[in-house]
Amino acid sequence: MLKFALEDGVVDAVLGIKKGADTFDARPVLITDPNEVMETAGAIYGGTLLLSKLFGKYLNGSKDLKIAAALKGCDVMGVYEQAKRRQLNLDNVLMIGLNCGGATTPAMMRRIMSEVFLVDPDSVSKVTMYKGHLNITSEGGKKDISIPKLEDAGYGRRSNCRRCKMKVPRQADLACGQWGVREDRVGKATFVEVCSQRGADLVNAAQEAGAIGTEVPDASCIKARKRREDAVLNLADEWRRRDFAPLSNSKDRLKMMIEETARCIKCYTCIDVCPALFNTTKPYITSFPGKVPPEFAFHLLRYFHVADSCIDCGQCEELCPMDIPNALFMHAIEADLEELYGYHAGEDMSQPAVSITKEPDV
Amino acid sequence: MIVEKFKSFKPEEFGCLASAKASNEDNYLMQKFVRIALKTNNIDHCARLCHSSTVSGLSEVFGSGAMTNSIPDLQESKCIFVIGSNTFEQHPLIGRRLVLARKSGAKIICADPRYTPTAKQADLYLSMYSGTDVALLNGLMHHIIENGWEDSDFIKSRTKNYDSMKKTVMEENYNLKNVSEITGVRESDLKTAAEWIAKSKPCALVFAMGITQHTVGVDNVKSVANLMMLTGNIGKPGSGVNPLRGQNNVQGASDMGCLPNVYSGYQMVTDKESRNKMMKIWGVAEIAESRVGYTATEMIDNLADEPGKIKCMYLLGENPMLSDPDINHVREALENVEFMVSQEIFLSETAEFADVVLPAACYAEKNGTHTNTERRVQRWRKAINPPGEAKPDWLIISEIARLMGYEKQFSYKNESEIFDEIARITPSYSGINYDRLEHPYALQWPCPDTNHPGTQILHTDKFATKDGLGIFMAVEWKPPAEVTDPRYPLILTTGRSIWHWHTGTMTRRSETLDREVKTGWVEINTKDAENLGIEDGEKVKVSSRRGEIEIPAKLTEDIKIGEVFIPFHFKECPANVLTNNAVDSISKIPEYKACAVKVEKMNDRDKEVVGRGQRAI
Repeated sequence: MLKFALEDGVVDAVLGIKKGADTFDARPVLITDPNEVMETAGAIYGGTLLLSKLFGKYLNGSKDLKIAAALKGCDVMGVYEQAKRRQLNLDNVLMIGLNCGGATTPAMMRRIMSEVFLVDPDSVSKVTMYKGHLNITSEGGKKDISIPKLEDAGYGRRSNCRRCKMKVPRQADLACGQWGVREDRVGKATFVEVCSQRGADLVNAAQEAGAIGTEVPDASCIKARKRREDAVLNLADEWRRRDFAPLSNSKDRLKMMIEETARCIKCYTCIDVCPALFNTTKPYITSFPGKVPPEFAFHLLRYFHVADSCIDCGQCEELCPMDIPNALFMHAIEADLEELYGYHAGEDMSQPAVSITKEPDV
Repeated sequence: MIVEKFKSFKPEEFGCLASAKASNEDNYLMQKFVRIALKTNNIDHCARLCHSSTVSGLSEVFGSGAMTNSIPDLQESKCIFVIGSNTFEQHPLIGRRLVLARKSGAKIICADPRYTPTAKQADLYLSMYSGTDVALLNGLMHHIIENGWEDSDFIKSRTKNYDSMKKTVMEENYNLKNVSEITGVRESDLKTAAEWIAKSKPCALVFAMGITQHTVGVDNVKSVANLMMLTGNIGKPGSGVNPLRGQNNVQGASDMGCLPNVYSGYQMVTDKESRNKMMKIWGVAEIAESRVGYTATEMIDNLADEPGKIKCMYLLGENPMLSDPDINHVREALENVEFMVSQEIFLSETAEFADVVLPAACYAEKNGTHTNTERRVQRWRKAINPPGEAKPDWLIISEIARLMGYEKQFSYKNESEIFDEIARITPSYSGINYDRLEHPYALQWPCPDTNHPGTQILHTDKFATKDGLGIFMAVEWKPPAEVTDPRYPLILTTGRSIWHWHTGTMTRRSETLDREVKTGWVEINTKDAENLGIEDGEKVKVSSRRGEIEIPAKLTEDIKIGEVFIPFHFKECPANVLTNNAVDSISKIPEYKACAVKVEKMNDRDKEVVGRGQRAI
């Protein structure tokens, strides 16, 4: 469908990811040649990078380019939050949502290969997640392990992925993926939920042009898809309970935040990558310039600006050079505010109750 | 024109500096050019100013001057002793390993005159005066041996010369009471540190400029090596002697032989066999004589104190006008250069002295490799084209070489070809090539052949010395070359901050970084400031026997009473106007970390309170 969208001029470019330095590494790529689109096929479970901020940073906020992108839940939510903050033009972004059970960092992937599967990471040719199992194909044959078992042993998905409840992003134009696809059709067919008029138009046009074929799914397939989604959502609830428990008392939470952020070296990465923030670090520089570690107020300002708009994409925590559990803190704050105000970030264009959407004037 | 000029000078009249920021390919060609075309070994680079003590010290006692372990395995340590390093500000990603080690239960000890961000994260902070490292280390060893905590098995099987070292450290000079007086560290803290270091298996030692930049820099390094051999902490994951190198490619520039005493891979210029090997592989009949050339610090001294000896300078980057000690002396030196060529990316304070400036491409504008502190060789990938007429350094050097008649020796099509030659000529790099470097973790030398996986940890079974044994060295503590006296009552120590890089040629051009820190400051303890009647942010005069500067004061509890700190990035208040150009007799490294200064209020007329942005807690 992406190839068709590009060929037919529905979009000017496709933003996707393809294999980077090894099987586990993802590299973003902007494609204008339809023949290159197939290079982005497949899933990279080590591909934790976020695409939503690329629009504002490098693609001129999709002001002059119509771009189609394959986006997992956190990407889609990020795109909406960026749109609310006028960092991109949503009308020019055609969103092909992907169902996602969670990703893990490339470095962790390599560790899982060598420490859990006991194989040389470079010998691994294929990695898939199917029915709650992590499956690999390497020179030594096929191996698999159940994901809950993996995670209880301290490996597995990123902590924010485990808490995430945006598994099938229906606020995109289409929501696609493997969940619900019949066993004998896996790898050959994709489940597609049509979620918007734009999505419907694309599917119809592609079908008419013979680029794709479609079938109505059996009731059993729809049930299977829902079962899969519910299973992962239940797991997410369990992880939220586990992760938020030590933060349930506000004094404990504050103490932990002060302790953990005490090693901050003020690299600004958490601010730079956050979809609920802007493409500037200026407001945060003017507070206590030159101080390392920065005053706690530096972090308070971030919590205040992001507040109920945290989509738990995990970038702030994954990329922190000091391993500060930023996403845990941000998400805990958001979870509380969500309960208080009923606002859900990243689901549509509605405005937040607490967070700012106007770029601070500095 | 350059070629004509170069041809007019004799070999001994050249002074050349390579760049620890340029790639391995750039640097390899620089030393090849200097040795073949200019026929001199007068080539050096800024490693002289930072880790030359390390290379001299560890080469002698371990047989190899490089970091023994790797950055990732620091995480497995049970105790990390940080001395002379502000890891969190200067090497944040190595600081990360300390954080992760700590999360797994490791203890962190940090020794520093300042209560730095690193010290703040430590479990034990040893507040010491600059220039007392050997005393501190000997004291720790004294206490360890006294309690029988040394690793006798390791000492017996893997080392030699123990008895002579033991005799020295067991002297009463180095009992904890005396050491506490010399260093300013509490006795109880010394006891705790010694116990943790000896009993944690494994323990790693991490060090940087606080150890190396002294007139006793080499002694300091040998003491650090003594301590780790004493406790059997060499050759295992999470252990080792770990010098943290600063510039992105200072390890590589050293590996490539941009030093007056060695070719690439530390093959000595005085060794006939090595010299013949170079001539053969390079395909030339003559190269520089087998005599050790001038170091960078000697070049400056010669130019200033014996003008006419060195007439021509060819510099790749390098900014001695801000980075070398005693800047007034450096200015004299550079003014005496007859002909100077500067290959630079920006017009630095030093480049302004040049007769010709050749615009060079920066790291993002060329391909190549560099080697980091853990001996890991990694690829640079070109992202954009260089602006205007700027070219990659290796290409500029090749063009000059060709014009001088060395067409055959300098006709590389690309960086990969240069690297292949490096691999052929440098035993520790032999198994590395661009294909193998595509792997995400690249390769750590020594890597002797293309099937070798690279070396994560050195000295696992044997040391790299001739007989495979590590050598204990008896080292006595000596104070810094210049100590305090009634005229200059404060110890000045200098260093970096996280916001700017060295002489600021690149970072002071960044809006964001400039906004964090616009200018320098002198860090002074609140009590000392009180006695002088100085307020936070007030512009003061700091002077030494070499010169004086005007600089805002930053009052803090985080520095020892009696000591002050100034970062060296800022040309408008350069720390190096004040520093002493006394050097270590072996490594020729300047004593940046200790000299004597006085701080005074400026006249009421000149008094100025500079912005609140630099306010201390």
